[in-house]
Amino acid sequence: MRKPANIVYGVEDLPPLGVTALSGVQHVGLMSINLIYPVLIAREAGSSPEAVAQIVSLSMIVLALGAILQALSRGPIGSGFLCQPVPTAAYLVPSLLAAREGGLALVFGMTIAAGLFEVVLARGLRYLRPWFPPEIAGLVIVVIGMTTGAVGVRTLLGIGASAPPGTTHAVIAVVTLGTMVALNVWTKGALRLFCVLLGMTIGYMATAMLGGFTAADAATISAGPFLGLPGFEHVSWSFSSELVIPFAAAAVAATLKAAGNVTTCQKLNDADWKRADMRSISGGVVADGLATVAAGVIGATGVNSATMNVGLANATGVLSRRVAYAVAGTLAVLAFFPKLGVALYLMPPAVAGAALLFAASFIIVNGFEIMTSRLLDARKTFVIGLSFIGALAIDFYPAAFRGLPIWTQSFVGSSLVLGTLSALLLNMLFRFGVRTTRSLVVEPGKVDAVAIEGFMEAQGAAWGARRDVIDRASFNLTQSIETIVDGCAPEGPLEIAATFDEFNLDLRVSYVGPPLELPDKRPSNEEIMASEEGQRRLAGFMLRRYADRVAATHKAGRSTILFHFVH
Amino acid sequence: MRRPANIVYGLEDSPPPHVTLFNGVQYVGLIAINLVYALLVFRLAGTPVQLVGSLLAIGMLVLGVGTFLQVLRLGPVGSGYMCPATFTATYLGPSLLAVQVGGLPLLFGMTVFAGLLEVGLAPLLNRLRSIFPPEVSGLVIFVIGLSGGIAGLRAMLGEKALPVSVEEWWVAGLTLATMVALNVWGKGMARMLCALIGLLIGYVAAGFTGMIGGRNIATVEEAAWIGLPAFGHLSWSFDVSLVVPFAIASIAAAMKAVGTITVCQRMNDADWVRPDMRSITRGVLADGASTALAGMAGALGTNTSTPAVGLAAATGVASRKVAYAVGAIFLLLGLFPKLTALLAVMPRPVVVASLLFAVTFIMINGLQVMSSRMLDARRTLVVGLAIVAGTAVEVFPTLSATAPEAARPLIGSSLVFSTLIALLLNLLFRIGVKQTATLKVESAPVDAEKLEQFMETHGATWGARRDVIDRATFNLAQSIEVILDSCEPQGPVEVMATFDEFNLDVRVSYIGPPLDLPDKRPSNEEIMESEEGQRRLAGFMLRRYADRVAATHKAGRSTILFHFDH
Amino acid sequence: MDLLEEKVGGVTVVAVKGRIDSTTAPALGERLTASLAAPKVHVVLDLSRLEYISSAGFRILLLAAKRADETGSRFVLCGVSGKVRQLFDLGGFLDLFTIVGSREEGIAAAQ
Repeated sequence: MRKPANIVYGVEDLPPLGVTALSGVQHVGLMSINLIYPVLIAREAGSSPEAVAQIVSLSMIVLALGAILQALSRGPIGSGFLCQPVPTAAYLVPSLLAAREGGLALVFGMTIAAGLFEVVLARGLRYLRPWFPPEIAGLVIVVIGMTTGAVGVRTLLGIGASAPPGTTHAVIAVVTLGTMVALNVWTKGALRLFCVLLGMTIGYMATAMLGGFTAADAATISAGPFLGLPGFEHVSWSFSSELVIPFAAAAVAATLKAAGNVTTCQKLNDADWKRADMRSISGGVVADGLATVAAGVIGATGVNSATMNVGLANATGVLSRRVAYAVAGTLAVLAFFPKLGVALYLMPPAVAGAALLFAASFIIVNGFEIMTSRLLDARKTFVIGLSFIGALAIDFYPAAFRGLPIWTQSFVGSSLVLGTLSALLLNMLFRFGVRTTRSLVVEPGKVDAVAIEGFMEAQGAAWGARRDVIDRASFNLTQSIETIVDGCAPEGPLEIAATFDEFNLDLRVSYVGPPLELPDKRPSNEEIMASEEGQRRLAGFMLRRYADRVAATHKAGRSTILFHFVH
Repeated sequence: MRRPANIVYGLEDSPPPHVTLFNGVQYVGLIAINLVYALLVFRLAGTPVQLVGSLLAIGMLVLGVGTFLQVLRLGPVGSGYMCPATFTATYLGPSLLAVQVGGLPLLFGMTVFAGLLEVGLAPLLNRLRSIFPPEVSGLVIFVIGLSGGIAGLRAMLGEKALPVSVEEWWVAGLTLATMVALNVWGKGMARMLCALIGLLIGYVAAGFTGMIGGRNIATVEEAAWIGLPAFGHLSWSFDVSLVVPFAIASIAAAMKAVGTITVCQRMNDADWVRPDMRSITRGVLADGASTALAGMAGALGTNTSTPAVGLAAATGVASRKVAYAVGAIFLLLGLFPKLTALLAVMPRPVVVASLLFAVTFIMINGLQVMSSRMLDARRTLVVGLAIVAGTAVEVFPTLSATAPEAARPLIGSSLVFSTLIALLLNLLFRIGVKQTATLKVESAPVDAEKLEQFMETHGATWGARRDVIDRATFNLAQSIEVILDSCEPQGPVEVMATFDEFNLDVRVSYIGPPLDLPDKRPSNEEIMESEEGQRRLAGFMLRRYADRVAATHKAGRSTILFHFDH
Repeated sequence: MDLLEEKVGGVTVVAVKGRIDSTTAPALGERLTASLAAPKVHVVLDLSRLEYISSAGFRILLLAAKRADETGSRFVLCGVSGKVRQLFDLGGFLDLFTIVGSREEGIAAAQ
């Protein structure tokens, strides 16, 4: 593991106390934005201000616990990174549903179930990976973003609220969203980092100035104690089989995101990063799931690893595990200030809606980028496109799906569920016929470099292989064929087989003739210029360097070289 | 113009008749699926089925004429490329809106308007580019697919329509599955014509389940084998509230025509460097004229067909003759009322399946256009907020009712609303993008990477075109190299780059004698003989590469300005 | 700039990767002079991985072509494409040199 240049404190480093504390506070500031989700869910369930304050306090305790669990670096729990959880948009829509159907008890019960499901998924992550290629992970994120956006719009416009929103409401919304956007677009550093938090603060101030808070609101906030232990009066649990599927889909989304964030942490900490360390990913997802279980048990809402905080850690260059403890400490202290929770409870809908819209924009575009990170052929176009339209059709036009048989209703009840399921099924279906091994025969007399490159290109697109891997494989293939034809005097044609299975790309080149030398050491320039032999050794050297692993065998006159690329 | 290796029959070549004919049929099969858009709109307007047949026949005639307009070069109209016309999802949303507000007359009237607008836009295309950077045009394409798909679904399955039966789900599923399966696993012709084959299978399945009722069969039987469609029913009207949606669709159509014709240019010319605006303008004129004509004759707006051009690239047959064949086949097909009557009675699930199939590709294409540029925070917000806004309109149709009367047409459609949001944010976020960047270069040797990075980074923030940045990068590197080598500058060389969407100016200034920028290339002997000759070559190339150069010398300080049109 | 020289049959193929500017041009000049030292030799210059060429580079190419002419050798360029091709076009060099498409064509043309 080599520390990249831009990282000041790697995960194992111990930054000075001041830096640690300050980083911790900064992370908590960023995380606090997401406390909007438990507040919205609790409000949907019709909770009292006191209950909301308790849920906020308990959420902070859960987040503190989650940050510590995640930082554990030994045993089956924890990725060992600074990769703390936050309340998440993924559980927002299912939890709102649960709050409506069966109050907070159902939210907590289902949250426990979802967390346990995530823990189970973590164990099988290695085998599940082919089922969740990036385009599906991206699709799930986009749909979460879209539904979050829809909730934002509903909150913002007061759809379904008792009184229609007035001009004051519109002004506050515009001021809040405008501040966030402006700070994000036109400022740098801390202002930009905390644009959401600042926007919300300004939204509160605007509300106060425009008289948006009533005397009752003021009374609520002054009534509670300044310091206090969070209570558990609101906590009880129930379970409904109808909600299993939406929560399971959210758990899948949470799993994908946690795995992605841990992978990012690995890359950030290691300049020589080549492939994902599955142990730390699996441990990270277990920690993520356990944090959600804890949330359900003590009376908070589902949490998930925070991408924004990983980004913050990268931007500041402070990745130390010690910061996770500072984050936990700060949160634990804040949990004993119930007024904070009450203040969040009083959040004007215009402010909450604006924050949700802002978050949704980033979630959606992030999803788009993940979706399009690999070459999209016809198969993938259908996997994404059809699932996406299906998912949206539910939100846009629920009535069309009422004609379907009863047993399908739990699948077509939510856009997240239908989108995820349909993408999974189509992806599995379309995997048929992606032949994993392709072969090509090259006559030594007529080597056509363009045709060979075209072969790798076409296969790469069909497999959805990463661009850089295909480029490397393509180079190795042409270079090795050229060298073999030039230097090994092969008898008869060269046989090439390319095998792909989502994690590995293997190229086998076999021919009748002497084996190709693949030296570990580069021949000197003199050797290269002096003889063809030197130049061939250079080719062999480059081939070895370019592949992740090479193996050469020679049996009964037939030589085979294997180039292995990690995907 | 040099023919690329993979093109078998270039634009000017004449393939043998059977190749021409076969390719013509193939394109018609590819394009025919888009008649489903027209069908959908006419259905929603409550048009009687006989009339729908007649309108579809008119539609085919329009496509034929549109294809000819594009390939023939009549006066200022037509790019001359094999670039067939097709009905388009671009106009689907606005058209559905129009028939709901004012029936067919309004649809035709607004289509004429959209076509004329596109004709008017053709000469201004260069200027439009800055308002529609890739992330915005990608977004528009995406929302076109999205809103077209949703609007179609709503029209077919909406509250006013009959509830969907289980059989219909099966037929729709089978039709879509056939199309998708052929596209994914099929080869050659089966893959090319997957939509058409799926359509046929859908008809057969619908026939078996008795979905094509006796009345519909009678309609087909009654229709004549050969005959001209009726034009008698036509009338036109206009509604100001629909100007914005149709204008956006018209701009989107123009942008797409630009893209398609650029592909045609590149496909036909191995030495292609930059788009030839002349043939693009002519092509957009033809595209607009075809849409205006469609409105006049009684059809939906048309647009150049991207899949057809893609097919041409795949088969290597780009001959103008093929376009004649496509046009002629469409004109012929328009004269068979039985055929169009058969299309007119297309069962609902088959329509829905074809629509889904078509919009899937449009949406994903939009996604890819969007992410073809790196999305920084600004662009993320432009795209993200616009999508949320568009979604909001679709999810909460009551939204527009709460808006003030004047704003209603803007908020009524997701396409319009999200396009407007994207345009406004895009303009707004440009504020504060620093338009001038400076750099100091101290001494030899030149750090080429630094110069390159300087142009790259600022080019990306400005959203400047790749090819312009490449040329500017060359000029910067070459001029500094020569200045440091031969002008013996005192102190650093100062570089200043200024960008304002239409111009990129790079100023290089230093204390020292001016650089010679000759109009005439030094002879080969001069270049070889002396360093001086080589320097003059550099000066000559610098002059040629920029769109304009100016050199001044004042009080010992020399400044060279390289101007590039953007 | 990286130079990679190899012999294919009787043909010397010099591949250039990177940039030819005033700092790197002399090295290329030396290499080409050496390759073209003997009379009646065949040299192919593969420019397919060239990123940038300045006037100093063109001068070297001209000198090499001239030398080849004088000694009855053949000097062929290949892989001139994209940005680099534009530069050749701009400087009016496309017709001055023997330019072919691929390396294989270059080797064939030089023989």
